[in-house]
Amino acid sequence: MKIAVCIKQVVTREWQLRVNDQHTWIRDQDASFELNEPDAYALEEGLRLKEKHGGEVVVCCAGPARATQVIREALARGADRAVHVESDALATADASAVADALAAAIRDEQVDLVLTGLQSDDQGFGQVGVVLAETLGIPHATIIMAIEKADATLRVKRELEGGWFQWVTLPMPALLTIQSGINQLRYATLKGIMAAKKKEIRKVAPPAPPSSGPRITRLYFPEKGKQTQLIAGTPAEAARELVKRLREEARAL
Amino acid sequence: MILVIAEQRDGRLNRASLETIAAAQSTGDTVRIAILGSGVDGVAGELGKADAAEVIVVDDPALKEYTADGWVLALEQLIAAEKPDRVFLAHTYQTRDFAPALAARLKRPLVTDCIAVTGGGYVRPMFQGKLQAEVAVGDAGAHLATFQIGAFRADQMKAGRAPIRRAAVAVDGSKIRQQPDAPFKEARQAVDLSQAERIVAVGRGIKGQEHIELAQKLAQAMGAELAASRPICDAGWLPMDRQIGSSGQTVAPKLYVALGISGAIQHLVGMKGSRTIVAVNKDGEAPIFEIADYGIVGDLFEVVPALIAALNG
Amino acid sequence: MAERETLEVDILIVGGGPAGMSAALRLAQLQKERGGEPLAIAVLEKAREAGAHMLSGAVLDPSALHDLVPDFTEKGAPLAIDVRRDDIYFLTRAAKLRLPITPPFFRNHGNYIISLNRFVKWLAGLVEAEGIDIFTGFPATEVLYEPSTGSGQAGAVVGVRTGDRGIDRHGRKKSTFEPGVDIRARVTIFADGVRGNLTKALVRRLGLDEGKSPAVYALGIKELWEVPAGRTEAGRVVHTMGYPLKMEEFGGGFMYALPDNLVAVGLVAGLDYRDPMFDPHVAFQHLKRHPVIASVLEGGTLVRYGAKALPEGGWYTIPKLYAPGALIAGDAAGFMNSARLKGIHLAMRTGMLAAETAFDAVRHGDLSDTALKAYDDRVNASAVRTELYPVRNVHQAFGYGTIFGAAFTGLSLVTGGGWLKDPMPAHGGWTRIRKLAEYYKDARPDPESTVNPVKIDRQLTFDRVTGVHYSGTRHPEDQPSHLIVHDASVCATRCREEYGNPCIRFCPANVYEMIDAGDGTRKLQINASNCVHCKTCDIMDPYQIIDWVPPEGGGGPQYEGM
Repeated sequence: MKIAVCIKQVVTREWQLRVNDQHTWIRDQDASFELNEPDAYALEEGLRLKEKHGGEVVVCCAGPARATQVIREALARGADRAVHVESDALATADASAVADALAAAIRDEQVDLVLTGLQSDDQGFGQVGVVLAETLGIPHATIIMAIEKADATLRVKRELEGGWFQWVTLPMPALLTIQSGINQLRYATLKGIMAAKKKEIRKVAPPAPPSSGPRITRLYFPEKGKQTQLIAGTPAEAARELVKRLREEARAL
Repeated sequence: MILVIAEQRDGRLNRASLETIAAAQSTGDTVRIAILGSGVDGVAGELGKADAAEVIVVDDPALKEYTADGWVLALEQLIAAEKPDRVFLAHTYQTRDFAPALAARLKRPLVTDCIAVTGGGYVRPMFQGKLQAEVAVGDAGAHLATFQIGAFRADQMKAGRAPIRRAAVAVDGSKIRQQPDAPFKEARQAVDLSQAERIVAVGRGIKGQEHIELAQKLAQAMGAELAASRPICDAGWLPMDRQIGSSGQTVAPKLYVALGISGAIQHLVGMKGSRTIVAVNKDGEAPIFEIADYGIVGDLFEVVPALIAALNG
Repeated sequence: MAERETLEVDILIVGGGPAGMSAALRLAQLQKERGGEPLAIAVLEKAREAGAHMLSGAVLDPSALHDLVPDFTEKGAPLAIDVRRDDIYFLTRAAKLRLPITPPFFRNHGNYIISLNRFVKWLAGLVEAEGIDIFTGFPATEVLYEPSTGSGQAGAVVGVRTGDRGIDRHGRKKSTFEPGVDIRARVTIFADGVRGNLTKALVRRLGLDEGKSPAVYALGIKELWEVPAGRTEAGRVVHTMGYPLKMEEFGGGFMYALPDNLVAVGLVAGLDYRDPMFDPHVAFQHLKRHPVIASVLEGGTLVRYGAKALPEGGWYTIPKLYAPGALIAGDAAGFMNSARLKGIHLAMRTGMLAAETAFDAVRHGDLSDTALKAYDDRVNASAVRTELYPVRNVHQAFGYGTIFGAAFTGLSLVTGGGWLKDPMPAHGGWTRIRKLAEYYKDARPDPESTVNPVKIDRQLTFDRVTGVHYSGTRHPEDQPSHLIVHDASVCATRCREEYGNPCIRFCPANVYEMIDAGDGTRKLQINASNCVHCKTCDIMDPYQIIDWVPPEGGGGPQYEGM
């Protein structure tokens, strides 16, 4: 099985976020970065499928030069080689630009399966995987919790709302977006880290960016517009008043 | 004209669609509502009670079960015929499965998980709700937007009478590559609190595992999920997947009720993006009150039963 | 189950701080200079990335940097700013007295204010550019010795073993379990920092501290602040003595002004205090409220928090620096000048000297004691001794009170640091803590109380848990506690009675808590994932029953900018 896994480098979850001067992104100079969590699960799933069915795992990443950090980590965990579509703009680009870039990386690879995380921890649009499937002309399924392979088809378990699930069969080549927690992530071993240095990272020039697309005009911390309303009275009085305000004022109930 | 794509399963309308209609109505623009499926006249009738220009039924045997391909094929034709300026959908699991493919097929931009519509575009959360962004669509032509569950209220939807018509859309079933089995329910391994609209969270103030049931009752009365700050999960009183905070989940629901939670910064970073925050704590100086919209300084063992009564009464 | 990996290298460096990185870089340089068969060299670092666990004030003496990287400016060394102004204050609760003359130890002309975290990251970049592997996220947990049945010298150090990964909080192996790696090396340079866990074990096993004075430490708590523009001049170095510390307590405050309105502020408190109710974190909050500091920080934003121990003991506490197969460099050996509050340049220098010795030994195939002793000779012949020997009794002098200490330190400029008894008698810091009954007599305080409380306003002063958040500390939750308390039954009974559980006060990260056991008694709760790896508990616990071992690799603080 030839499996492409798409990964993204994001700022760590603990990073103390501050907005940049243009208010269009966060200040990430000297930030700490890591592999986007759902992508880590996608990579682990890809490695397990390779171990079970044989083949190759190729890691694809669209992002700036510093993204080699997560590419190396993926190679250290067991991916065979990598393709890096390098561009600073891709760090904050919209879904179609990123999908185009990844398509450029994957198109010539003749893969059987493409795996992506279901969304990124930073922008969280949750689109790149599905747009990529459409761009490559392959079928897709999202928020996947389990994968079974039989010859030329896949049987996958989709997560639905409220505790519901559904098995879906689709032909390969296909694309799946993977839910976090689907498996247990392996560690990168010392030998894996050393071997990763010798593995190929093919650089691909990014395609010309689209002229327009959704863009962030203002990024900000949600302000607490109002003052805290402390509701006084006996517990019964305060409770009634709170429910009233939640219903009528905050419209939260 | 805004085209709202409503959602149904087995002939039952997803209430989130009513929220999306409310969102569309709030812009003042003409609203048309579409519903896809096979044998969905009942749902169409329900939708006909909204104040909209019309309800369009896309009825095709190939749409009996939801599939991404089926939905994209149908909507591609519908949108070409109806030519909306905007397409609104609820940000459900189903929408997440097909909307990006539809947008890519149409070569139109899509903004997902919006919580508000502005003059220039949309507002949506980022960085797991820690930040918000105003997003401009960047394209003068038609675009799609999905709305976070709970961002608008189903009861904000204006009622009216919308005529129902069938669309001349035919779906070639042979082009559908996904073959779905019937959905089934399973005891969930882990709770994804980030999808909950309302959350009731307990902290050290709950004092004992035996009292969690009280919070559970409040959660039920509110239609909320139960969550906890770290010490509760560390003590094993609730499982780890219920933990909110820097070492647990980050959430930004419509309503967050913090019971007996002091508001240590590790907890705050996991929930301060919530739209409405209510705090109940004995200590008036507790940091949680600094970020709460509403606060009751009092004994939660008295306040919570009173809340349950007020909700049920 | 996964099998234990082994790796063979020529020279292994344990610890990726200034000593370890300097050793690695020096080895790369020697390799280039002398040519020959390339040596296999590796650096082990427990943090997730280079520099993440690095914390210091810091004012850097660039002497070692000049020797290691003469073109450091061209290479972009992150020396934030040169020191422009030195001020020393003696503080009382409300007032300050500025020392009109800056004592020579505190003159920082020619030095730089730096972030050690950034500096080590920069060094790591140079090391990696030389092709040397830095394995981050790999803590060393055990020293490997040649068995008596082995082919080499029995008892010689032959490398280290890294920690196991994938063990759950109950000690069971998870499906992702990976046993630690055995890294075998001909020479291992131990540069695992202040109270390094491997150096501690090595010294104990081989008796390397025989005849030496007991090691003494201090705890440094530091915060990085962003202050309103114009509040302070970049390059200004302030040191304080007196308030909030008592005359019998060693230490003082510091405030260094960096560019871009950043200020590093902190308190160093000797871990040889007498008062069992002393709380360094509370003392630090008091320091921030003093006008000398508050006038700078008011209205500013807390950016980062952290804490780390410092090796204060000086020359006589440094253990034997070599053993078959092993060399010890940097803070792990105690190379710090406690009079000048500087150790980074000494860590770099000793790292370089260890590298030179290791290189020669491996190249000549002579790993005997004589060959490795050359390190000790080099250190003795170097600027390290010239600097440290005259101040060898300084910290010990402070053990007799601040006045005596200051006077002695001043005099040592003239006397060369000697005393009637040389070395000046000293004790392990943890032995000096007094029992509650003795110190407080009839006014015995409640162990859960704070003797000198400070208002936590969350603008200028913060609680420990908030500090931990700002330290960026993260540990995977499902792992065993890495704070080993060998007899926790002592906590609620004997320790509570005798000392009032000082761990709940000396730990700057709220790792230790005495909680309600449910039956009317208290019990110890260890919040291991809060740990900032400062080592204070390992040092200071009055019964010496706490062992700090490294948690699963990669966990710990993220000291960006510290």
